[in-house]
Amino acid sequence: MLKTTVVVIGGGATGVGILRDLSMRGIKAILVERDDLGYWTSSRFHGLLHSGGRYAVKDKEAAKECIQENTILRRIGHHCVEATESIFVRTPEDSEEFEQEWVKSCKECGISAIPLPMDKAFELEPNLSHKILSAYRCPGAAIDGFRLLWQTVASADKYGGKTMTYTEVTGIETVNGTVSGVKIRDKWTGREDKIACDFVISAAGSFAGQVAHMAGLTVNVKPSKGTLIAFNHRICNRVIHRLHKSSDADIFVPHGSITILGTSSIDSAPDDTSTETAEVTAMMEIGKLTFEHIYDYRILRVFAGTRPLYSADPNAKGRSASRGFVALDHAHDGIKHFMSVCGGKFTTYRLMAEKVCDMVCEQLGVNEKCHTADENLVEDPSPELMGRAKAVFPSYGAELAASRLGNRKLEHVIERIESKPEMRELVCECENVTLAEIEEIAAEPTSHTVSDLRRRTRLGMGTCQGTFCAYRSVGAVDKEEMPWAKDTVYLFKEFLETRWKGIRPVLWGNMLRDIELTRAIYDAALNLSGVEEIK
Amino acid sequence: MAINKQHAIDPDKCTACTICITACPVTAATRKFRGPKMTGPALTRLRKLVSDDDPMLDYCSNCKTCDLVCPSGVPISTLNMMAKNEYYKTHPRKSKADDMLAHSEKMGKLITALPLGSTFANLGVSIGKAFNMMGAMGITKDAKMPSYASESFISKFKKIKQTSYPRKVVFFSGCYINYNQPEVGVDLVKVYQKNKIEVAIDENFVCCGSPMVSGGYIDDARVNAAKNTAILKAWVDKGYDIVTACTSCGLMLKQEYQELFDFAGMSEYAAHMYDSIEYLAKLNDEGSFNTDFTPINKKYIYHAPCHLKVQAIGRPSMELLPLIPGIKIEEADAGCCGISGSYGFKADKHEIAMKVGSKLFARIKDSGADLGVSECGTCRLQMENGSGVEAIHPLTVLRRAYGL
Repeated sequence: MLKTTVVVIGGGATGVGILRDLSMRGIKAILVERDDLGYWTSSRFHGLLHSGGRYAVKDKEAAKECIQENTILRRIGHHCVEATESIFVRTPEDSEEFEQEWVKSCKECGISAIPLPMDKAFELEPNLSHKILSAYRCPGAAIDGFRLLWQTVASADKYGGKTMTYTEVTGIETVNGTVSGVKIRDKWTGREDKIACDFVISAAGSFAGQVAHMAGLTVNVKPSKGTLIAFNHRICNRVIHRLHKSSDADIFVPHGSITILGTSSIDSAPDDTSTETAEVTAMMEIGKLTFEHIYDYRILRVFAGTRPLYSADPNAKGRSASRGFVALDHAHDGIKHFMSVCGGKFTTYRLMAEKVCDMVCEQLGVNEKCHTADENLVEDPSPELMGRAKAVFPSYGAELAASRLGNRKLEHVIERIESKPEMRELVCECENVTLAEIEEIAAEPTSHTVSDLRRRTRLGMGTCQGTFCAYRSVGAVDKEEMPWAKDTVYLFKEFLETRWKGIRPVLWGNMLRDIELTRAIYDAALNLSGVEEIK
Repeated sequence: MAINKQHAIDPDKCTACTICITACPVTAATRKFRGPKMTGPALTRLRKLVSDDDPMLDYCSNCKTCDLVCPSGVPISTLNMMAKNEYYKTHPRKSKADDMLAHSEKMGKLITALPLGSTFANLGVSIGKAFNMMGAMGITKDAKMPSYASESFISKFKKIKQTSYPRKVVFFSGCYINYNQPEVGVDLVKVYQKNKIEVAIDENFVCCGSPMVSGGYIDDARVNAAKNTAILKAWVDKGYDIVTACTSCGLMLKQEYQELFDFAGMSEYAAHMYDSIEYLAKLNDEGSFNTDFTPINKKYIYHAPCHLKVQAIGRPSMELLPLIPGIKIEEADAGCCGISGSYGFKADKHEIAMKVGSKLFARIKDSGADLGVSECGTCRLQMENGSGVEAIHPLTVLRRAYGL
């Protein structure tokens, strides 16, 4: 049986933020996540680090929190943030009155909104619709969800914070109305265990209701599904927002080598990540007002995630820590030292963690203050290390690998290539991922599928959507020292099916041609047709 | 005739099918080049994201075989050339040779303007080689360099008395014919006159810019494109067709301009542009090609330049030359010769160029042909250099067959 002070349930942004915060305050904590880190909401979003501009008119508190956290994350998480800035644009469909109100609100919230002459806007972003009437520069940015999560965990790890992925909580144990531990089960081995603890924080997002139910409690989370469209390359180099009352499909985020358009808002189940063609076409119609040639750009895939919106139960006695999120202390419901955190947004994950941990610390009698804004998540690679990286990585590979891997793993990967130069071969040509990097991540105890490698490296997330890297990566991990990679047919199917899921709703144009090539390789050449059942 | 091939310069159409890699002659010759798919569409996506060193770019010879085989119509080599241009805005050149080889017109003008300039220049090349001066410049000492003619084509053209015919073409001679092999231009005028075509030239034409684009000097090429476009459009408006006798000039003027630049009138004049042999093949189709040949009892081997293949106009030389009585001519069909304009003259590329061309050289030698035939000037030079067999332009073959 394991033993710790706090168990955090849920490996999304909120959960890892809490783990890091507690660990930095010297509190022993273990995070358990049913799937891979960031598998749910924290990867199924825009990849947008809000400036707060979007909330300036309707929710000034959230807007102020966003700009504050934006400034902090640009500093402490600069390997995960691409500080592109954002442009708010008003189309002929949007009201001029709103623009005036918005300018005033941004000023009140301390969000810089600099008017941009239209000729300059078109020069900066040549693909913008020329019907656009006004534009403002704001400090928005793009943020890599997977990377932020893993780097936050790496930072927590330095302070003793422990993370267990693919570990499902099967029960919450109490003694005399106070939490005493959680029951867990390893998803891959089926092995059951217990973690004795003094406190449980549920940061399970859309699943918060299900987790609370294990303790016989009700938490009223209403998941709202948002669909996002990923385009094959960067349509814009800055985040582009519509300058109007926040609505569907009005944000474009350049994210790494791609652009993401989102999103919709549909009431759904917590695990609903389905996407429909109709959602895509509806979003394209709206997106057309921002980028008039949107139909000329190739859609790479679509994906969806759910927002864990908290709906206040009239009988709930919890207290609201912010308008954006709630931290429910279940002592009010009869179970002490059990808390559920709901709602919120990715941009403010650190602040949410700080507020939750302040409350937890008070109950545990810990006086240590929050330090999470003072220290970078990972250290910068030294010039020497970057020099070695540039000498061994293929073109455009060194910077990407450095920010993906962090220093320790970057050095390992460099060593792999230095000792075996053939390790610099690219497994994924679209996203520039070397064989050495795949081997490094595959050897991590948290890796169980090719999709796990994908979330860490961006393998399979480019133009070909796994066509060429699937057989290469499965080939790369199918070796003696990789016990999880014995069932190669399963590995193939798991990876290809997840790719196929996002392509199916957009099967036209080049996507259709592309998938026929994939089908020819895997069905005709490798006799891997379809999937019966994926674990 | 020209194909109007306006491309959207973005990487979206690539489905990563990899056929370009299987067809790329440079990838086959060296592991230093990861192939067109990677440097073209794949890295174009990443170039928008990170700035980094990309030594691979320099290995693309712009032969355009990738564009030819691409089933999705991606202008792969043009993506490479645009990236190369961006790259050299922030990176130093490997050698002085780049500038010299990219600006062949400047060299040609300089040398032919001097009294006895060509004699000294040609002499200089051999002296230079002996003292390894070319090596210091980054030019290989092993390749046969183009020599300079004592009199330019334009000067020779002015001395030719032509008969006036209703069918008129303007001939874009290009630098190689003007400064290095003016006799090919003369061959064109003689052969065209024999076919009742009047040939005009325009002294205001400047270098098409093909070597500038390959060398990463797209900004210079843009200036030239603007000048040439205006002149070509004006000739077409007057009812002239345009012909070239250099396949790189032809490709540049009718297709690559449209991929790289956006000047008014490009697609209009491009619809009236022909390769010199393609134009004669058109006459043949119309039944007006003059076949009043005297027999040639020789064996020829024809090599189709990459820049002709990518124009998608077939093999007009293989349609016309077999009409000459007695001639034995076969197509080499042995891929790229490797020279790619100026690529093979660069010291760090020469070995690759010779390896690329090795299949062709062996084919020429094995054929036992008396002469090689190709439309491209530097292809001919490379054929001679690699096989020891002299190579001539198909217009020269026709002129000889007409007994002119």
